[in-house]
Amino acid sequence: MGANQRLRKRTVWLLIIILAFGFGAVIARLAYLQLIKGEELQRMAVEQQLTDTKVNAKRGTIYDSKGKILAQSASVWRVVLAPAYFQTDEQREYVASRLSEILSLDKAKLLEDTKENTYYVSVKRQIESEEKDKILELQSELSEKYQLANVVSLLDDYKRYYPYSELASSVIGFTGDDGQGLSGIEFQYDSNLTGTPGRIVSAQNAINTDMPFGYNQNIGAEDGHSIVLTIDETVQSIVEKYMTQGIIDNNVYNRGVCIAMDVNTGEILAMASVNGYDLNDPFTLSAEEKDKIKDITDEYLMKNGYVEDPSTTDKKELEKIRETAKSEAESIALSKMWRNKAISDTYYPGSVFKMITLSMALQEKVVNKDSRFFCSGAFNLYEKTIHCHDIAGHGSQTYQESLWHSCNPAFIQIGQLVGEEKFWDYYQAFGFSEKTGIDLPGESDDIFFSEDGSLGPVDLAVASFGQNFSITPIQMITACSAVANGGYLVQPHVVKQILDSEGNVVSTISTDTKRQVISNEVSKEMCGILEENAISGSGSNGYVAGYRIAGKTGTSEKLNDSNGDGVDDYIASYCGFAPADEPKIAMLVFYDTPLSGNYYGSAVSAPVFANIMAEVLPYLEIDAQYKDDEIENVDVTAGAYTGMNVSDASAQVEADGFNVMIKGEGDTVLAQNPVTGSTIPKGGTIVLYTDENSANDKVTVPNFIGYSVSDCNYIAASYGVNVSVTGTVSASGAAAKTQSIAEGKEVSPGTVITVTFSTGGIND
Amino acid sequence: MSTIEYESRSRKRNYDEQRQRENRGNGNTPRRRKIKFSLLSIGKGLDMPFCLLILILLAIGIIMMFSASYPTAFYEEGDSYHYLKRQLIFAIIGIALMIGISYLDYHHFHRFAGLILAVSYFALVLVLILPGQDGVKRWIGVGSFGIQASEISKFAIILFLAHMGSRYYDKMNTVKYGLLPGLGVFASTAILLILEPHYSCIVIIALLTVLMLFVSGIDVKWIFIGAGLFLAAVLILWATGLLTYAMERMEGWGQALIYTTEDMWQTTWQTRNSLYAIGSGGLFGLGLGQSRQKYLFLPEPQNDFIFAVVCEELGLVGAIIILLIFALLVWRGIVISLRAKDRFGKLLGIGLVSQIGLQVILNILVITDWLPNTGISLPFFSYGGSSLIMLLFQMGIVLSISRSANIEKS
Repeated sequence: MGANQRLRKRTVWLLIIILAFGFGAVIARLAYLQLIKGEELQRMAVEQQLTDTKVNAKRGTIYDSKGKILAQSASVWRVVLAPAYFQTDEQREYVASRLSEILSLDKAKLLEDTKENTYYVSVKRQIESEEKDKILELQSELSEKYQLANVVSLLDDYKRYYPYSELASSVIGFTGDDGQGLSGIEFQYDSNLTGTPGRIVSAQNAINTDMPFGYNQNIGAEDGHSIVLTIDETVQSIVEKYMTQGIIDNNVYNRGVCIAMDVNTGEILAMASVNGYDLNDPFTLSAEEKDKIKDITDEYLMKNGYVEDPSTTDKKELEKIRETAKSEAESIALSKMWRNKAISDTYYPGSVFKMITLSMALQEKVVNKDSRFFCSGAFNLYEKTIHCHDIAGHGSQTYQESLWHSCNPAFIQIGQLVGEEKFWDYYQAFGFSEKTGIDLPGESDDIFFSEDGSLGPVDLAVASFGQNFSITPIQMITACSAVANGGYLVQPHVVKQILDSEGNVVSTISTDTKRQVISNEVSKEMCGILEENAISGSGSNGYVAGYRIAGKTGTSEKLNDSNGDGVDDYIASYCGFAPADEPKIAMLVFYDTPLSGNYYGSAVSAPVFANIMAEVLPYLEIDAQYKDDEIENVDVTAGAYTGMNVSDASAQVEADGFNVMIKGEGDTVLAQNPVTGSTIPKGGTIVLYTDENSANDKVTVPNFIGYSVSDCNYIAASYGVNVSVTGTVSASGAAAKTQSIAEGKEVSPGTVITVTFSTGGIND
Repeated sequence: MSTIEYESRSRKRNYDEQRQRENRGNGNTPRRRKIKFSLLSIGKGLDMPFCLLILILLAIGIIMMFSASYPTAFYEEGDSYHYLKRQLIFAIIGIALMIGISYLDYHHFHRFAGLILAVSYFALVLVLILPGQDGVKRWIGVGSFGIQASEISKFAIILFLAHMGSRYYDKMNTVKYGLLPGLGVFASTAILLILEPHYSCIVIIALLTVLMLFVSGIDVKWIFIGAGLFLAAVLILWATGLLTYAMERMEGWGQALIYTTEDMWQTTWQTRNSLYAIGSGGLFGLGLGQSRQKYLFLPEPQNDFIFAVVCEELGLVGAIIILLIFALLVWRGIVISLRAKDRFGKLLGIGLVSQIGLQVILNILVITDWLPNTGISLPFFSYGGSSLIMLLFQMGIVLSISRSANIEKS
């Protein structure tokens, strides 16, 4: 074969190889990518070309029943850095220093962030509009100076504000960093409040400016729904004011609970677990708790099983353990602080439960006007002796008297008349054996103790005065409402309405009546008995002058010792409702472990109950009807005497029914105390100042505690101050228990001092 | 023993004597007619189908280059026509050069083959000395007026092997004249290219060398031995896991769709977006000018990855039509080359048109992630003054071959 022939032949081979194999392979590869893998690749391409930006929806507002804002979201921004765009260290340095300046952050840390090779570093969250404007300035500056428009950016965000900070904290709850509800209503109604985040889908090029073929789809964010609570801010504030005072007065160790509920609708007007916490700063413990955690002693470590013997443990190791103990103690303290005691804690209802036991007995007609229950001071039951709080015994009592005396032996007998089976049926019917289903997270179940799993005679005996089972406060007040409202067990709830973002009602929560437990007649009778109890019986410290209060005290043993003082803890409670003739509002006041020495429900909780009711009932526009002896103590308002001449003024003061006291030598009244329009007890003293020097005169506040109403009035008059009488004054033996201004303080003459009266507590 | 110098000198003498004898036998007409340049007969002797195919490809290429480049030009240069204007100027210069070269007797290159090879080595060494870009040293010159040293190399090797293959046509089955010169230029060039680095060009040069040697008539067993050694090396690399490592090292070659995180190589990003573009095209494409990937997703869409945009806009159908035009060009170019009267013309023509075919194939294998992404441009399409001018210069040589064959025929 010649060279030329070979060349020709090989060239033909070459052509075949290049065209058939080379171009063939290329076309096959392209066909594979475009036809078989095409869809997948196109999807990936589109994913990259379309930017899908999430637009956060605004979280709904939480209102109280009167439309006051309890929780609200406001626009804030998040600063984000895309350090991969940086080109020089000088740029990094500049941006870090400017950001640290604007956002008051650590510059060294920022500088480190700028060196990362990513497009997303979150620098600071929740900056407000002032800082945002400065960031915008920085952005335009950077794009001018370095053409770095994308290196610092702002993302929309929302921040939750709670205008009333502590108010109803355990009910409202708070949200986490990403706006998700973590507790309370914020958690329970999270899906309603959150709304639907929107999306902006647009075709963009690799530097995120829009592409000319213009694909842009805007799916708007749907703002969250707003929640209207049944909680009334005014009532809640009143409740928290007195509850907090009660914590201080009685040195309460484990917080207190108060629930105010509309007996007919189940709407919760107020629900407080005091002390609460600042919803705007839910992760900060109170100073007191912080102190406790700060000083974790070796003893604490030993007691809680962290170490066996601190002296033999390595120093470093011990510190490490101490740190662990601290952080654990902190999280325990936080969860304790957040806990909604009103629904999450269970307690022995104690004597408060006697209203339920008596209701059962009346409904079952096992007691009547001829029934008598004898109390010798103790009751023997199968080798066990149960003592009455009155060791002398109450003697022979009617069923009404048994309740007024809060007599345990009598109630054991009433419980026996009801019988185990019926008692258990009613226990269930009153809703103690199931959760109330209130629309809040963390509700607990009841715990019924029985020796052998069924309700035995001893169990029944102890249960009949509320010491054999532990229930939640919300269960107790729901049952109490059933006693009051004609026998209907209603579903308690804290949400009234759900509104859309424009304020239209999406849904309204209506009253859900579960069942009728007792008849209207029995309910009526119970109202009468409990009203009488609040006037002259064991519950008289809960009485509010002018109102028809019905109530029952309770002092229950917790059978444990949480504070470590070697004595079992007590829970002091008071549960009642008003007005007794047509009940509207039921309220439970409950203090867990008062340590001031007096732990009786009648002494600790009843006065708080009375104080709250005294303010809440007028607010709810329930008219007062005073009895004759109460009218004397009703406060009136001081008239206007300033500017008159002295003789005319004093004549006018006396004509208005007040005593007059003139200070100074002038002819005209320059000032008066109490001032015009302020409240002053009937027959109180009005001081008229006639020259400027006299205004500096002071009187020393005397001691009122321990004195009767008339004694107090006498003392007040002699010191030239006024006494406003509150609390139980009708009952015999009522004595001043607290005074609003402490003894020994210097005050202007005529100052009104509120003195609270109550009878001594009983251990029921 | 005669030296190579003696040998070649005596061969030259023999060749000249033979030509003179032939001339005498044909009467007094000279062996080769001088080709006179005339504007009126500019196409005289040119192979018209080949010329037409070049112009068609160039036209399509420039249109597609414009389509692919205008977003980049707009965003980065501030002028959508930035690349188009320049490419048009280069094309005009290139066409003028092509026509000019077609009048030049290609046998002059025969004489300067050795010198041009020396220049190519000089250029390859020079780029290593000059400061490179991003750790890659491929360009000589400043800014847009640079030339890739490998462009010269490819031409120089084709030329040199055509020169050797024609001079020692009867000794091609020997190791000394057939195998060693080819192996020598390839190995030395490849070493310099590794230092740049420019792996894909090594692949082209390897293929060009094999192709030239094969056509020149070396013993086929060497090609099989070479292929066998190559396969064995790949197998060893694969078995020891070094191949995967090498693929990773070669800037994510073959893994464009695997590594999709942000810290991947810039070139992997390019390949991945190339695949997105190709895939998005489907059968009929998104339409001319409708590519989305060219909007800064695909870096430098006017350069090596232009065919990805072509695939996206014109679809598989458009891509195949363009490939067919390339195939026709190669086929026509080889037909022209085979018509050349002398062996040097045949070999040179075959080398130059095959190079286009190879470059098209390799370019598409790069953009489809079958070869490492290391700079193989698509003839007539990719933006770049020097490579376009170089390409048209080489096409001018092919036309010169056709002109001389046709004129001699007439």
